[in-house]
Amino acid sequence: MEKITKDKIKAGLEVLKDLQDSKLISHLNSCVHCGLCADSCLYYLTTGDERLIPASKVDMVSSIYRRYCTLTGKVFPGLVGARKLDDANISEMVDLLYGACTMCGRCVGHCSIGVDIEYVIRAGREMLAKMGYVPASLQATVDAALESGNNMAIADEDFLDTIEWMEEELQDELNDPAASIPINQPGKNVLYTLNPREPKFFPLSIVAMAKIFYAAKETWTLSANMYDVTNYAYFSGHPKHSRIIAQRMFDEMQKMQAKKLVLAECGHGSRASRWEGPNYIGKEFPETLNSVELIAGYIKSGRIKPDKELTQEIVTLHDPCNLVRSGGIVDEQRYILKNTVKNFVEMTPCGVDNFCCGGGGGQLAMSEYNDRRIKIAEIKAEQIKKTGAGIVATPCHNCVDQLSQINVAYRLNVQIKTMAEIVADALIIGYP
Amino acid sequence: MPRIEVDGITIEVGGDGFLSDPDIWDEDIARLIAKYDGIEEMNEKHWAIVNIIRDNYEKKGMAPMIRVICKETGLKLREIYQLFPLGPARGACRVAGLPKPDGCV
Repeated sequence: MEKITKDKIKAGLEVLKDLQDSKLISHLNSCVHCGLCADSCLYYLTTGDERLIPASKVDMVSSIYRRYCTLTGKVFPGLVGARKLDDANISEMVDLLYGACTMCGRCVGHCSIGVDIEYVIRAGREMLAKMGYVPASLQATVDAALESGNNMAIADEDFLDTIEWMEEELQDELNDPAASIPINQPGKNVLYTLNPREPKFFPLSIVAMAKIFYAAKETWTLSANMYDVTNYAYFSGHPKHSRIIAQRMFDEMQKMQAKKLVLAECGHGSRASRWEGPNYIGKEFPETLNSVELIAGYIKSGRIKPDKELTQEIVTLHDPCNLVRSGGIVDEQRYILKNTVKNFVEMTPCGVDNFCCGGGGGQLAMSEYNDRRIKIAEIKAEQIKKTGAGIVATPCHNCVDQLSQINVAYRLNVQIKTMAEIVADALIIGYP
Repeated sequence: MPRIEVDGITIEVGGDGFLSDPDIWDEDIARLIAKYDGIEEMNEKHWAIVNIIRDNYEKKGMAPMIRVICKETGLKLREIYQLFPLGPARGACRVAGLPKPDGCV
């Protein structure tokens, strides 16, 4: 790790000294150390390590605030538990805020006084980002997006070639040579986005969504220029980077003149565009919705009709934290499953109180904390086992990847699917 | 430095189980990582996939698109997922000795 310098300290403290962020200041000063957050957190529950209790992570940031922004902290730091920004504390901060938090926000709901712990963690990450301490593997994913336009640095011709290939798959599956995956067509009803892992490694989910659009007779398009729904700078914490990426999505929407921006099944991507995006760029996004809302709407209005008899296996649902707990999209995916599969069983707990898969907060990208990420997933593995499900559905590609890994690590022997894949498998084409 | 151990042989890997030094890769290492993942024996199809990935990495510095893997090997997409149960990234690319690809994989 690079040594701390005066300039770095100054850059980091800008976050705490921003007088406009009164929310941050009040939440930094509010924790009463009741400890209720401990039992809400995957890290504490699976390790018993008190360092990893959410309140300890909040204190990591607030102790620095006290040291540099309060009179008692400046004069008698020892009395008020104020800590300075030195190499040891920064290394602890990196470990706690990047390495031991999925930013799932479950602790926020369990906090006795409503401290937005996740917000404080994000502010701590912002400090570290401004000082240049983002873990290398996470920064690499942000850099790939900034430099190439997507977080896996997929070249344009490779992307176009893949979409053409998937269009052929779609035509074969539907037995209709006119079925298409439209690209760069302005003026459509829907501009659809993707997680780059789809074209790079798992393109069948693109076919699944295209099949749903086909059945719903939707007019839609992808953009070859900007299709990446993710914004990893939300995790790394640098506001400049998150703004650049959100602005790109906004600009593409203007350029394509679509009526709606539909975000792919991606928890943090939905959050970063739809809910954080307007704050990043200082402008409201045009009509923006997540694909589960769109699909639920198709079913409700009768535009598509899944056949429940086609999926007899028990299906359970994992709730992506950013979409469900933070975004409030809770019922749509349940409505879809109740109308798409024969046996839908909730895990416990579920909905806004569900546990994180363990891969959130950028953990999936951070090789540095791999062992911890698999360890904390013990809880999700148990939740899944107890349902007796053969299929786990989830509207987030990041969760899909983490669940696929714990499927192997904990020998769950289940199939992991996106919502679009579940629906596409159950579609009756030609209805009504 | 984390390690993986198979048949009494130890390989140094990063925290995520990908080779720390992609340059030390050879076919024996590929067999060991595959075995660690439960692939007892690498068949012709496994090798065809791994060799394409390795070749692409050496020429372009990154993992190939799944499109390229299918095109070059003539294998069906679903077959690749079956051959490497951990998927193209954490399965096949890891066996091919690449660093972990960026993004949600």
